[in-house]
Amino acid sequence: MSSIIDKIFANATKFIAIGVLLLVAWIFSVLFEHSLKSIEAFGFSFLTETKWAPNLEKFGALPAIYGSVVSTFLAMILAVPIAIGIAIFLSEIAHAKIKTPVGVSIELLAAIPSVVYGMWGLFYFVPIIRDMFGGIGISMLTAGIVLSIMILPFMAAVTRDAMNTTPDILKESAYALGGTKWDVIKDIIIPYAKAGIIGSFILALGRAIGETMAVTFVMGNVHKISTDLTQPATSIPVTLANEFAEADSELYFSSLFELSLLLLVISFTIISIAKFYFLRRKRTGQ
Amino acid sequence: MATIVDITEEQALKVKNFEFTYAGSDEPNIKKLTMPIAKHSITALIGPSGCGKTTLLRSFNRMHDLYPANRYSGEIIFKDRNILTKNEDLIKLRTQIGMIFQKPTAFPMSIFDNVAYGLRLQGVKNKTELQDRVEKALQDAAIWQEAKDRLKHDANGLSGGQQQRLCIARAIAVEPEVLLFDEPTSALDPISTAGIEELIVGLKERVSIIIVTHNMQQAARVSDYTGFMYLGELVELSPTEELFVTPKERLTEEYITGKFG
Repeated sequence: MSSIIDKIFANATKFIAIGVLLLVAWIFSVLFEHSLKSIEAFGFSFLTETKWAPNLEKFGALPAIYGSVVSTFLAMILAVPIAIGIAIFLSEIAHAKIKTPVGVSIELLAAIPSVVYGMWGLFYFVPIIRDMFGGIGISMLTAGIVLSIMILPFMAAVTRDAMNTTPDILKESAYALGGTKWDVIKDIIIPYAKAGIIGSFILALGRAIGETMAVTFVMGNVHKISTDLTQPATSIPVTLANEFAEADSELYFSSLFELSLLLLVISFTIISIAKFYFLRRKRTGQ
Repeated sequence: MATIVDITEEQALKVKNFEFTYAGSDEPNIKKLTMPIAKHSITALIGPSGCGKTTLLRSFNRMHDLYPANRYSGEIIFKDRNILTKNEDLIKLRTQIGMIFQKPTAFPMSIFDNVAYGLRLQGVKNKTELQDRVEKALQDAAIWQEAKDRLKHDANGLSGGQQQRLCIARAIAVEPEVLLFDEPTSALDPISTAGIEELIVGLKERVSIIIVTHNMQQAARVSDYTGFMYLGELVELSPTEELFVTPKERLTEEYITGKFG
């Protein structure tokens, strides 16, 4: 009797697990199906064309791709060193009395919904950027900064957790050879936690590149490639959020779907790389 | 009262009225302990769990200072100075008093870099000097034959016994005067244990050795002096044979005959 229940249970879980895979495949196929018109019309040039003109039925994704890449890159450059600094402070330097409250607050920051970061960015950061760097304040730079603030808590918390996995006995061994705190951090803890740290960065990168609400407020949705970071720009998710409701032609609609397909592929790739790093956490020895 | 043998030969360390209390503990974990450590010999510390032997060992290189709120008083004399003072240079002290831990602790780097680590911390940059001293340390730790063809490989690819010998090579590469062994074979199989014990005995010509062990046979096999600790006190310190054959204290006798422990 119990073996029958076991079998039913095993099959039920198997069915649910396969269901998740089917769901992913289904999303892919729907996006692909709706993208077909745009793929047929523009082919590969969709990725290289810089003009996005709905009224002329011309759609090129390069400005959105450029905006996604540059804003994410900016966010990572700003967030990585600060995240490492916070993690080092929390795992190795801070006194126990500070460690817990600061650690918990950082985890709480990671729980703030991204739309709140977006609104906060619009009302507080946009004027600051305008006054400091010129332009209208709604810009690539603002988006990069808001994104960096958004991914920072997650990165800092995961990096700290990775550093905390370094066994005490390993750290003590380095101190016992005459190492300073800095020596131990740089030679033992960071190399030991490297896989986990890099994994957290890649996950944060994946989150930043797909982030919509936090940047929609502050980026401007302007399909132009500009090297001036104080100029408004757009990214793939910003374009989708702003334009889906007003896509009045079939080709426009299909082009937006192709953009979202593109975003999915990019995110998938990034998460796969992160998983690969996490799986390699147990070092291979030789 | 405790029986503590007079050590007539030169002493590497002198513990005087040493008292140690862990953070959060009301009672001292080591109570007014006085103990001489002979130079160029092996002193074993035995006693039941919680007797304070590892705590005492970790006081010699001030490991306790890595954690906040531990309190200690008294003196530990090393090279004519009390090393428990506030202005003691801990970096320098730890290069003079090295330590081997319960488990092998190969750093996440190559075999060569592991052994060169302490030397590099001391500022040795010259390539040939590094190579010579790493090779010598690996030879002295009896692991050169196994390691010489894979010096650039990750040290974590070595077996447990090999890693522990690597850790010994790493510790002796900086030429310390005292080596502290904290149950160095507790994670190893009997054959690796025999190899490490042989190695430890061979090292005493150059360094003074203190070894904490749970294994009385190990103490009997390797050490010249044995100290028996109980509840934070040194009950007896005698030449090893005397302690195991004709213990002076009743408590020592009861422990080594297995009446408690």
